[in-house]
Amino acid sequence: MSEKFERVGIVGAGTMGGAIARFLSAAGVPVTAVETDLTALAGADLVVEAVPEKFDVKVAVLAEAAAVAGPGAVLATTTAALSVTELGAALPGPERFAGFVWHNPVDTTRTVEVVPGLCTAPETVARLAAFADSLPGKEALVVGDRPGFLLHGLLMPYLNDVVQAYDDGLAGAEDLDVAIELGLGYRTGPLAMLDRIGLDAHLDATEAAYAATGDRRYAPPPLLRRMVAAGRLGDKSGHGFRTQEDH
Amino acid sequence: MNNEPRTVAVLGAGTMGSGIAVVMARAGHRTIMYDIDEANLRRGLDSVHGFLDHSVKLGKLSQDAADTAKRSLSGATDLRELAPSDIVVEAVFEDLALKKELFGRLDDIVSAHTLFHTNTSTLSVTGIASGSRHPERVVGTHYCNPAPLMKLVEVADGRHTGSPAHEATVAFLRGLGKTTVVTKDRPGFIVNRFLIPWENSCIDALENGVATRDEIDAAVKGSLGHPMGPFRLLDIVGMDIHQQVATRLYEQLRDPRFFPPPMVERMVAAGDLGRKTGRGFYEYDDTRLFGS
Repeated sequence: MSEKFERVGIVGAGTMGGAIARFLSAAGVPVTAVETDLTALAGADLVVEAVPEKFDVKVAVLAEAAAVAGPGAVLATTTAALSVTELGAALPGPERFAGFVWHNPVDTTRTVEVVPGLCTAPETVARLAAFADSLPGKEALVVGDRPGFLLHGLLMPYLNDVVQAYDDGLAGAEDLDVAIELGLGYRTGPLAMLDRIGLDAHLDATEAAYAATGDRRYAPPPLLRRMVAAGRLGDKSGHGFRTQEDH
Repeated sequence: MNNEPRTVAVLGAGTMGSGIAVVMARAGHRTIMYDIDEANLRRGLDSVHGFLDHSVKLGKLSQDAADTAKRSLSGATDLRELAPSDIVVEAVFEDLALKKELFGRLDDIVSAHTLFHTNTSTLSVTGIASGSRHPERVVGTHYCNPAPLMKLVEVADGRHTGSPAHEATVAFLRGLGKTTVVTKDRPGFIVNRFLIPWENSCIDALENGVATRDEIDAAVKGSLGHPMGPFRLLDIVGMDIHQQVATRLYEQLRDPRFFPPPMVERMVAAGDLGRKTGRGFYEYDDTRLFGS
């Protein structure tokens, strides 16, 4: 079980799926990236699912991927907020399934979280962690199956808090980001970060974390819902908190 | 107009007061540092000179510029010596009564055009301004530590701040080379408003076993692009200071995210305050602080 992965299948061509596929290809890992037709996953010994943060959607994709890739393949999800254990419980081989959580932007962030569910086999964790550690500039962190795991669990309440404070008129969007970038030295201000992540992706993740915990820090701020309803999704739609292209 | 030399009084010779005095003197303003305590004042003036000398040694400032800045700096222990001030920058302890009293006494000493700036980080600008009979000339100007190196100043008006005072303050700060952001008179303004719950949530994550100290610092620094992880930062800030700021914000906001987690109290009780005591989240052989 300790050998490298010979071929990695990536399902989902959104911001994260596309970026992970490009990063792995550039690192010399054979990659098969698919969107809806999963038949090409035959032969993959690791399948990484990066479809939208909807439980039923993820389970359907993972179950189909498991059937195509066969019982020898490891399955992984990039979820930011759903439970690895719950997703695994809906699959035929939960011992071969784990969270494999990347951060945005994929090519410059240094840590990848490997998240075992209750049923995940230690070999699966060890293999994913060794794989992440072997990638250029990456370090695996094995963390527990809690909403958001490590970094997303910390980030979601902070980003929600900033959106609410912005809606409450604490300061303008640019001033909020500039204050945090210059005052705290963060590379990216929170509203520019949300534009990059995608407001819809953040909304899905924080809704899932709120549903799982009932913790109001994860409750999506009303402005976030309004922005997503209006199609203002951030960089990918050309209009978000900081991004405002002329149409 | 912005760069026209003014007379600036800095109240308080602690870390922030000394840092702000460097900013003023280096920009060519006649700078009077005030502290009620002669020994504090001496230490503050020495610290300004030390900073300027160090800047020359690093090649960041010419000897001439440092000498000029030193000549423009003086000290005072009597408020009456601040009479010629165009701008007073208050950077004393976070004590509302003390700040109000100083502004009230200065009403009778300084001119009718003098601007009153407060560097409070957690108190209300409106509350501090209520100590003066001229709240229209009181503006919140929150510098970041170390003030001579950090470009950001948060500007917050109190309820009665006049727009001429606000406009003149922003123009003056820009003349100092600062980047200003305009925010509201709310506890913690922007920077501390978001930093304190963030640090608390990282301490919670550690205490609850979500990940280790090293993992959290590695993820935050390596994947969020923060200059350092939360525990390295807390060790520099000091756990006692974090506890004070967090508690003050909690008392005003009554939001549990601001309340220091139990681990903070245990670390303070144990004397593990961070770099300055040799042990916090990490251990240190050298207890010297950056920027002091």
